[in-house]
Amino acid sequence: MSHAKKISFLTVLVLLLGLVSPALYAQAKLSIDKVYSAYLRNSGTISAQGQIKGYFFLYQSDKIDKHTNEYTLQILDENLNKVRSIKFEDSKKLNLLESAFNGNSISFLFKNEDNKTLDMKIYDLDGKLKYTYSRGYDKKTDDLMKQYETLHTDEGMNKNVFDMGEQGFVSVMPMREGKQRTYEVDYYSSQTKKQWTYVPTDDEERYAFAEYLGCTDSLIILEVMKKNRALSGNVTSHLVGINVVTKKKQFDLDYAGENYKMMPSYVAPLEGSPNVLVIGPYFDKDDNIGKDFSKGLAVYEMTTSGKVVNKVYNTWAGDFGRYLATNRKGKIDEVGYLYIHKVIRTPDHKLFIVGEGYKRQANAAGIAMSVLAGGNVGVTKIVVTDMVMMEFNDKYKVTGATIYDKTNNTAMAGVASDYNSQHVLANYLKMIGAFDYEFTTGEADNSAFAVCYSDYERSHEYHGQTFNAIRYNGSKFTTDKIQLKSKASTLRVFPAKAGSVMILEYFKKDKRLDFRLEKLG
Amino acid sequence: MLILICLFACLSLSAQVKDFYPAPQDDAYLSKLAAKYQEQYKANLNKLPSQNKQDLVEAYQHRWDNIKEKFDKKEVYTSRAAQEYLDRLVAAIRQGNPALAKMELNCYFSRSDVPNAAYIGEGIILFNMGLFSRLNNESEAVFVLCHELAHYLLRHSENSIQQYVSTINSEEVQAQLRNIKRSQYQKHEQLEGLLKGLTFNSRRHSRDHEAQADSMAVQLMRNTKFDVTGAYSTLALLDVIDTDTLNTAVCLPQVFNTAEYPFRKKWIARSSGLLGGHALVTDTTMADSLKTHPDCTKRTGLLKTMMNGWKQPVAVKFAVDSATFVSLQHVFRYETIEYAYLNDNYTRSLFLTLELLQKSPDDAYLVAQTGRLLNGIYGAQKGHTLSKVTDLPSPAYPGNYNLLLQFIQNLYLEDIAAIDYYYLKKHHPQLDGYAPFKTALEQSEKQMKN
Repeated sequence: MSHAKKISFLTVLVLLLGLVSPALYAQAKLSIDKVYSAYLRNSGTISAQGQIKGYFFLYQSDKIDKHTNEYTLQILDENLNKVRSIKFEDSKKLNLLESAFNGNSISFLFKNEDNKTLDMKIYDLDGKLKYTYSRGYDKKTDDLMKQYETLHTDEGMNKNVFDMGEQGFVSVMPMREGKQRTYEVDYYSSQTKKQWTYVPTDDEERYAFAEYLGCTDSLIILEVMKKNRALSGNVTSHLVGINVVTKKKQFDLDYAGENYKMMPSYVAPLEGSPNVLVIGPYFDKDDNIGKDFSKGLAVYEMTTSGKVVNKVYNTWAGDFGRYLATNRKGKIDEVGYLYIHKVIRTPDHKLFIVGEGYKRQANAAGIAMSVLAGGNVGVTKIVVTDMVMMEFNDKYKVTGATIYDKTNNTAMAGVASDYNSQHVLANYLKMIGAFDYEFTTGEADNSAFAVCYSDYERSHEYHGQTFNAIRYNGSKFTTDKIQLKSKASTLRVFPAKAGSVMILEYFKKDKRLDFRLEKLG
Repeated sequence: MLILICLFACLSLSAQVKDFYPAPQDDAYLSKLAAKYQEQYKANLNKLPSQNKQDLVEAYQHRWDNIKEKFDKKEVYTSRAAQEYLDRLVAAIRQGNPALAKMELNCYFSRSDVPNAAYIGEGIILFNMGLFSRLNNESEAVFVLCHELAHYLLRHSENSIQQYVSTINSEEVQAQLRNIKRSQYQKHEQLEGLLKGLTFNSRRHSRDHEAQADSMAVQLMRNTKFDVTGAYSTLALLDVIDTDTLNTAVCLPQVFNTAEYPFRKKWIARSSGLLGGHALVTDTTMADSLKTHPDCTKRTGLLKTMMNGWKQPVAVKFAVDSATFVSLQHVFRYETIEYAYLNDNYTRSLFLTLELLQKSPDDAYLVAQTGRLLNGIYGAQKGHTLSKVTDLPSPAYPGNYNLLLQFIQNLYLEDIAAIDYYYLKKHHPQLDGYAPFKTALEQSEKQMKN
């Protein structure tokens, strides 16, 4: 399946607002629907702690003057009931980027192109505006804008705005300072009007890319990848903790000097302990994580001051090899290398890690073209392969792995696929949305969850796109499939409350947008 | 007495008959009726005034579509015995009011459980089983019929259409619409202002219509033997008719707890979602207008003023057939369950079934229907069409119904299969002689093996 299938949830559609009475009509003369229409500007999910709690729809409901529009922000709850309709006036060029919910407030991050500001608006549950935090954006934040325009992360899930429990929200933004790339962490209180910004000042490297991993009551935890040159493959991976009380860096761990270095990709507080769990691929201490193959997956228990108190390593060749035909470099027969999408920890302390395969293959068309044209058009291609579910026990040792077949699809072809390392390729595939993994939805405590992905089926019974789920009910896995062919012009599946997905259908001819919740089977 | 026994046999069920089977619907009769009303509708369209005719035709088309749907979806109940009883009530009203003798009037029972009745146009009154089964006596049923008859006599529906079409086409509104269309800015605000006026007028007329219909209804009733104070008790009942009568928090664990698959608290837990998991209606001033029957207290007050000093020579609660009244009420509780199921509203059907199960936990139809519904919910969830046969929790529903909806939302496929199977197994082999039970149990066994 090509990544072109990934139509953004922020599709701009034209439709009438619900407030217009359908009974109001006229033929030759004017009717309400002939003099007025509203436009859907943005839509998306409202999440809290990774759980879908509702949806927002931002309509342009009126033009106030030359520079100002009236907007109606319609908020639906997790059962698609209209909760609030918030009306406000703002610049003509306004986009709603993301929303998060923290139990007592809903935050919306707007991009105001006229004022060149990023506005974080925090509303209470009655729909009253509590606080507005505004900051300018310029070339420094260009990367963020590009990220919203081009970056494909897990569909429908938050990219940069996250809730921090009842205290407020946090956003992690890429920044550009001349040729230097860095990042900024913004904290927005929802209890009092308080906002602070953390900007790293002690990074020696010129390029630093941060990704939000999670938070505790007192810490914001990031994975930061650093390097000195733009095209350098010499990358170091850091686990950075920012103390929300002191507003300073609490730790910055690169595991240098240890036997192995880890690339953290998951962090979660440990129940019944002040410590946190950190999981990610690990490498030999002298390896270059941008080029070399990882040795396996590491699981660390760490104190909030950054001290690692327990380390468990699972090697590809040894530990995973018992359940998957894996070589020393982590390559699995037929599946290829694994990209880790999600780590899930259940209440009985089992760990599940969701991976998706990708591998380099000979590109017949490219080889033929290279021979015929004599030029270098790329003789290999990268294909995205199957889903892999790995299970770990409460000692963090792998105890099983299952491959879920899906149709291989070409993710990229060309010269780039011939030369880049596996990890660079994987990150690139993620960025362009080439993986079929969509999102994971489940209970708040992960006692049950469903890992969702797309596929393309070519069988006698059905030929077309499918939406698939690997569902865990607390004791066993089952699979489910939804065939996506419909009479609608566009059909998309988005995350929903635990056990469900939201199916959105747009009927172009009728200018109608239908959305419904369906439980996974 | 013999007549009564025969009547009971015709009704498919009486209070004493254990195993309920729904009355077979007469599809040919329904098609014949629909065709007759369609002819009448078309003939009436030709009589519409020429001014704004196209708009009027469109409005009547909307009304006809609604009428047609009642026949297409087989909402109109075709049991001859029930129809004969309803005809006798109407005849009693006509008898007391000779002016109605030659009037084309057709009353039918609707299989809907919504506690309502309505004049739907073309001389048709639908009396929902959901309302009839909640009444206390015939005088209340007659008040309901007279009220809808008054809407018909006073041409409320036709007048509303005429008024709306005239208003929207009036020079004043058209001028406002033209102005709005020409406006570059603030169209929405201007339209809201215009709509506010139209909506207010429409609501005011609607409330006036209800008071007028009440007033004429008691005038019609006064000429019959039925106790006119049935109007008061009906309005008092309507005022609280939306209140739940089933405590689902207690009922669900009672019904679905089995030794093999014990009930889990998390099945009825509400998630702490956005605004507590559900949207909330916080505006208490709106609460009354959201009722199926708003303004009942005001309407009662108006009637009391009007009826002050009224005396009826004969005023009885029952004047036609109290036994049939009671037995129909009993049957209707079952028929509404069946119709909600056939109309693809499984959660509504389940709620009504559970309500009756509280009184008759071993009733063969109710047990089998519970199994049939859970089988249906299982199949729909598996086929990703659950949203087409179940409601989602919503502030528009009462709390106990919402909890049932939450219960369905919280169940995973394997939970539904197990709850269903072990619930039915509790009644095996006692109910094996009831064919629908056996079918439901066999189906649930297959699901368990999946």
